[in-house]
Amino acid sequence: MIDAIALLFVCLGVGECLHRVAGLPLPPSVIGLLVLLLWLAVMRRERPLLNTVSGWLTAHLSLMFVPAAVGLINQGPALARYGIGLVVATTVSTLLTMLVTVSVFRFVVKRVGSGAAQVTA
Amino acid sequence: MNGLLTTSAFWLAVTLLVFEGADRLSRRSGRHPLCHPVLLSTPVIIAILMITHTPYATYAGATSVLAFLLGPAVVGLAVPIWARARLIRQLALPITLALCAGAVTAIVSAVGILSLFGAPRAMLASIAPRATTTPVAMQMASELGGVPALAAVIVLFAGVVGAMTATPIFNRLGIRDYRARGLAIGVTAHGFGAARAFQVDPTAGAFASLGMALNAIITCVILSLVQLFL
Repeated sequence: MIDAIALLFVCLGVGECLHRVAGLPLPPSVIGLLVLLLWLAVMRRERPLLNTVSGWLTAHLSLMFVPAAVGLINQGPALARYGIGLVVATTVSTLLTMLVTVSVFRFVVKRVGSGAAQVTA
Repeated sequence: MNGLLTTSAFWLAVTLLVFEGADRLSRRSGRHPLCHPVLLSTPVIIAILMITHTPYATYAGATSVLAFLLGPAVVGLAVPIWARARLIRQLALPITLALCAGAVTAIVSAVGILSLFGAPRAMLASIAPRATTTPVAMQMASELGGVPALAAVIVLFAGVVGAMTATPIFNRLGIRDYRARGLAIGVTAHGFGAARAFQVDPTAGAFASLGMALNAIITCVILSLVQLFL
């Protein structure tokens, strides 16, 4: 268990280093994600405990960002002023992204002709 | 008594209890997107802060251990990606192209439309990562000079919209490829989309969580490049 937790923090630490020292503008945690992905690709070993730890963390993600969401308490004026813009932009963007992603995927699958038999209807 | 309102123990207890209550309501609603525990618990905690005249900075400091866990949690997203490496290899081209197209659409449309409303730069920076999962959006937003709290709320709202509209829209359009449906909902509506996709179809769910995790990377890479060159 400890080794799995340590692995996550080592990756995060490397991410933190690359972020600060190399000035990579990606968030440290996302760099850490890429480092862990690389590690998994190189090591190619079953890591049941890593699955347990990361699964537990992912399952409780929403609790972890409650304090940040509460920060809205200071955003009253911004929300009052741009609330409609935020709602319109987010709604349209969400629907548009969904349609573009689904269309491109289907178009490429048809063009390349791969996996058509796997379509589960 | 006043000292109590600055302790971690007190605010962690409040946050966990309120969240647990919200989570029970959410379960009872069959995990309806509008009853997401964060949406239910945030206003309650804001009300408690107002009643007790507690500044947000005090609350944020007292509960910082929760935010701290976001770092390793995001790193852990590598595990579900790696578990689906075979899917990615089989469908490398469609997944890559759909993902990039979706990520660019999400950024450009959200920032473009919001700028029509005359929103300032900090607000545009908060909406730019709106298609990524919430913790990544908050960190990317602050990287770009935005407001993490705004980013969190925008992302949650996008999740609700995506989770509620995807199934009716895809059915109406007659799209039956659950791989495409899952990927699209994961790219645009992150965890909310993935949760909904798993309720509809296991293939859709697998592709949705893949879309969510990969989009967290792609969107951040795109935004970082934009930030470097602008």
